[in-house]
Amino acid sequence: MSVPYVAAHRLGKAFYGKTVLEDVSFSVEPGDIVGVLGKNGAGKTTLLELVLGFSPPTAGRVEVFGHPSFRLPGAAKARLGFVPQQDELVNSLTAADQIGVIASFYPRWDDELINGLSRAWEVDPSERIKGMSVGQRQKLSILLALGHRPDLLILDEPVASLDPVARRQFLEQIIDVAADGRRAVVFSSHIVSDVERLANKIWIVKDHRLYWQGDFDSLKDSIVRLHIRAARALPDALAVPNALSVQRNGSTATVVVRDWSDALRGDVAERLGAEVEVEPLTLEDIFLELHR
Amino acid sequence: MFILKPHSGVPIYRQLSEQIRRMAASGQLQPGTELPSIRDLAIQHAINPMTVSKVYSLLEAEGVLERNRGKPMTIAKLARAQSPVAKRMQQLEPHLEQLVLAARQLELGEADVAKALRNTWEKTDERSVRRRTPAR
Repeated sequence: MSVPYVAAHRLGKAFYGKTVLEDVSFSVEPGDIVGVLGKNGAGKTTLLELVLGFSPPTAGRVEVFGHPSFRLPGAAKARLGFVPQQDELVNSLTAADQIGVIASFYPRWDDELINGLSRAWEVDPSERIKGMSVGQRQKLSILLALGHRPDLLILDEPVASLDPVARRQFLEQIIDVAADGRRAVVFSSHIVSDVERLANKIWIVKDHRLYWQGDFDSLKDSIVRLHIRAARALPDALAVPNALSVQRNGSTATVVVRDWSDALRGDVAERLGAEVEVEPLTLEDIFLELHR
Repeated sequence: MFILKPHSGVPIYRQLSEQIRRMAASGQLQPGTELPSIRDLAIQHAINPMTVSKVYSLLEAEGVLERNRGKPMTIAKLARAQSPVAKRMQQLEPHLEQLVLAARQLELGEADVAKALRNTWEKTDERSVRRRTPAR
């Protein structure tokens, strides 16, 4: 087992006594694409910023490439790439100048990659940032985070203003980063369908905690909707284990459960004398069900 | 080559592995057919490369795919023979359960259902034979 790129243990953060993140543990391995989901204000940005070492945690610890993130040595910092929610571009510069400024920090800047992507993404190097649309600014911010070919790429809502074509180009780039299994990506997004395509790990931040985390495939297998149809009226208490929500109508019921496994189907069916059909849920459905 | 629906609720790895398994078993993908590289398949469908690599490894372990040094994965020569009857029966189990449940709710007896199954079996067998003939 290789050393994880990120390892957080019981991490917490409070601002002026107000808890923003509590008791959060996770890890990121090379090759991972982690999708971070959560409602506005759930604590996603704080979580990403703690990994980036923007401020020290108030509880627990988080290590990046084996170092505490708040005291990351320069060589380790150079292996990080970050796209912030609010871009930090300099309005008076042209795209080419802005790229030049960032590139000057990195000895191994990949001009070929960035020139190629600028063309493909239709970012005009001579255009002044002041005149750019929000979408163009977002594309440029992403380019700036890719040029030094970071081992760990962290993106906070990177695609909110991109059109579907640009979003697909962005997704392909993320796949390209992760494809050789030596680099990793962590990205938060409200565009659940993108997360659904890309992520192999999902973190769901809710009420300042990591409410669910794990393999995306096991999330899809573990949270499902059951359609229960009995020959006669169902008992008052269905007693289906780990039910998140129950809707019932005489002899039929619809139940969303977590921690489901197919081995449970026979039990439920037999106990209720009913036919039980298991419907898999989309990530969007799962997200909504977890926030009922 | 494959039809993947990331938003269908069924995990992508299962959609992909089931399609490859079925296409290899039915002969749509002949032994020796090359599969796309992990990167190409991931980018083409905009899905996670690890998902593809997980499917390829899983199917290699099952004997459906063959890994070739420095070359693309291929459909294994013995793909059909290596999947034992018990394993294939296991895949059928959920369908059987559904059938029995439905039959019980309709208050049909075991003998009638078995007879109906045999009839349907023979009917579809004839059809697939007929369908295959003109292609030869």
